[in-house]
Amino acid sequence: MVGAFEQAVLAAMIFVIMLGMGASLTPRDFVLALKRPYGMLIGLVSQYGFMPLIGLILALTLPVSDPIKIGLLIMGCMPGGTTSNIFTYFSRGNLALSVLMTVNSTIVGILAIPLLIVTYVAILTATGSISLVVPAQNIIITLILLLVPVAIGMAIRRWNANIGALVELVGSALGLVFIILLLVTWVPRNWQFLLETPGWVFFGAIGLGVFGFLFGYLFSTMLKLHPRNARTIALETGIQNGPLAIAIVAFTFTGPLQNVQQAVMAVPALYSLFIVITSAMLTIWFRRANAAEEQKIPDALL
Amino acid sequence: MTNQEPGPEAGPAQDVSTIRLIGDIARNSARIYGARTAYSIVLPNGMYGRLSFEAIDSLSDDFAAYLREELGLHAGDRVALQIPNGLTFPIAAFGVAKAGLVLVNTNPLYTGAEMGRQFADARIRALVIVDMFADKLTEAASIHPIEHVIIAAVSEKMPRMVSGVIRLVQRYWDRSLPMVGLPHHLFGDALARGAALRASRGIEVKDYTADTRPDELAMLQYTGGTTGVAKGAMLSHSNLVSNVGQAGICFGGEIRPGAEVVLTALPLYHIFAFTANMLFFHRWGAENILIPNPRPISNLKRAFENHAVTWMTGVNTLFNALNNEFWFAEDPPKSLRGAVAGGMALQASVAERFKAITGIDVLEGYGLTETSPIVTFNSRRNFRLGTIGQPMPETDIRLLDAEGQAVGPGEPGEIAVRGPQVMRGYWNRPEETAATLRNGWLMTGDIATVDSEGFYRIVDRKKDMVLVSGFNVYPNEVEDVLSAHPGVVEAAVIGVPDGAAGEAVCAFVVLRHREAPTPGQLREHCKAHLAAYKVPKRIEFREQLPKSNVGKILRRELRAELEKAGG
Repeated sequence: MVGAFEQAVLAAMIFVIMLGMGASLTPRDFVLALKRPYGMLIGLVSQYGFMPLIGLILALTLPVSDPIKIGLLIMGCMPGGTTSNIFTYFSRGNLALSVLMTVNSTIVGILAIPLLIVTYVAILTATGSISLVVPAQNIIITLILLLVPVAIGMAIRRWNANIGALVELVGSALGLVFIILLLVTWVPRNWQFLLETPGWVFFGAIGLGVFGFLFGYLFSTMLKLHPRNARTIALETGIQNGPLAIAIVAFTFTGPLQNVQQAVMAVPALYSLFIVITSAMLTIWFRRANAAEEQKIPDALL
Repeated sequence: MTNQEPGPEAGPAQDVSTIRLIGDIARNSARIYGARTAYSIVLPNGMYGRLSFEAIDSLSDDFAAYLREELGLHAGDRVALQIPNGLTFPIAAFGVAKAGLVLVNTNPLYTGAEMGRQFADARIRALVIVDMFADKLTEAASIHPIEHVIIAAVSEKMPRMVSGVIRLVQRYWDRSLPMVGLPHHLFGDALARGAALRASRGIEVKDYTADTRPDELAMLQYTGGTTGVAKGAMLSHSNLVSNVGQAGICFGGEIRPGAEVVLTALPLYHIFAFTANMLFFHRWGAENILIPNPRPISNLKRAFENHAVTWMTGVNTLFNALNNEFWFAEDPPKSLRGAVAGGMALQASVAERFKAITGIDVLEGYGLTETSPIVTFNSRRNFRLGTIGQPMPETDIRLLDAEGQAVGPGEPGEIAVRGPQVMRGYWNRPEETAATLRNGWLMTGDIATVDSEGFYRIVDRKKDMVLVSGFNVYPNEVEDVLSAHPGVVEAAVIGVPDGAAGEAVCAFVVLRHREAPTPGQLREHCKAHLAAYKVPKRIEFREQLPKSNVGKILRRELRAELEKAGG
């Protein structure tokens, strides 16, 4: 669906964006998040508790074909994606927490993903089972694309706050371009696919993210997390690592399963498109909520 | 270069010999602290620019030469300065002083009409204004023609690349750079021209003030004062220099010369930050972290993260706002060593919360525009929470009753002040001056008590006192009790006409949404802490309260609002 060159361009963009995100952080932000592992724990429960369950429930209840059901399950079991960090940044959430949660869920995912998918596929199909291939290189790339630029960005800011602020400015501008680019290039190329896909598949692919936001937010609000952290966890829970899901599907459904690959792939593909739209809407809303919570200081205190 | 100077406790004697005029402060600090950073401007995204003590001294010399040689201004001419905190401010302010001219600080948020009235009253000849607010110039100039307009950018003297980006963002994203409707010069060009003139004509800027006496006018600082009509308090060089010296004695050894970093979030056009941050801390070699706009308060986050702030000045509103910011409360700056409050009463609950977060006592002082401004102060060695401390050195205070007689021990009376920091009078207002300055004593309009150890406690403003059935109710006391309720963000109390009792206590309260109490619950809370006649009869909830430019709650606006609404 995406060529090697485009993948490289996207990876380069993410690298620069994450460089900018890193330049907005200090080591103390991470120390603070680590001092209160409560938030991360809640995030992890949301990530691997709620999301796979939401995937399973959608798969069990929606009138869709088997490959779509498996697609929903796989999508639900993914770790947090890098885009969650970009949206957290724009929604003025707790970026350090978001980065830590993405790293966490990606590392935990090495064990949790196959375990969850195999178990849930067994529940779903009662008898059938699949032998899942989780491509290690994708996980490593995800971690590198996240951690290396963030560390460099933080170092730049420490070295010179002016350069740091400029890198942040460029990174965030590129982040906006990136989001728009995803939308603008994806839709026309997959127009035919969008037309042919039945309505319930749309519901499942979009619903997975939206229910993820909802449960992540309600859960962390219920546990009295600071609204800023609750918003961060909501975004982190709903936004899954789409490219990883696509890679898993591509590597797993080969040989005799090749004929269903395209059908299974529909879910991560649709999810990846719509999560950008729903996250963008949620981010605008969170930004407004954040601005409304901002303390009112007298106008004239300039 | 640092730490070669004896501490402030040895200061005043030395100050007398070397610092006579305001310009001498810049010269003295440049000599001692040289290449150390004197002023840094820090923007909300962390971008910064900085100037050393030497650079400030030299650039302000350039500006002084420009004002005198290029614009042809004469000693005593008024120059208005209307800019937010930034590197332009100290250059221009010291420059005006060194040129022997009179500085007129003007609030950048004034409307064109307010500007025009102030400029006409002061009869200014030149104005330095920030480009963002230049759209109000045409209206102001229609009231008072301004001979020379000098436009400065917020990013003045920041690194070229950074200021370029800031200009681009301001022009095309914020669209905050209006057209300038009057002929004008650019601040950067003015400095370059001044430097060229100094070099070509061999000018010694010091000569401009060689004959200036310390008691000559240095500044017109506009204030509503006790009567509400804006008027210019005439502050002399010696008023301000004395206050800096007095503060030096009060602080004792607490300031480490050449080693402090002070957060300047309050506007320098206000007398508190002007004297405390721009003059006093500069005099002792501290780096001023200038915040152009502390609103929203999260704008201070990067300043605290990127700079090891050791001292900060603030008003109650600022400390309260910081207390309520999670990033500040969760991870208070470890480098912070001291905090100074002024400008308005510091509430005990705010000071206690700030101490719980940072471990630092907020040292409260008391002052007025008319006293340059500090009158009393709490030093750390001599500290009592909830009081405004003891009088500054060489400062006399008397507490007077309505007849002008000294009140008995422990009784409240109006503060009258005498000392080297007391202004010369109000500019062109002999009646107001006569009403305020009586035989060298300044009548402040503030009611205070004094304890046996000489600590003063402000009870209230004379005109804000509420008279309930013959009993005096001081709004501050009721406000303190209301603010201590966990569901209350802030409160203001005024008196309203009330048939039988004469006046009744009326409270305006801003609630914290999560735990909002009812009026009944608030009254119960007040009853537990106050005599019955002090408990508010009427409680109104508001989203916010009207405040002045330093965040002082404006009770008179609340009164006017009620009158307009018909009681």
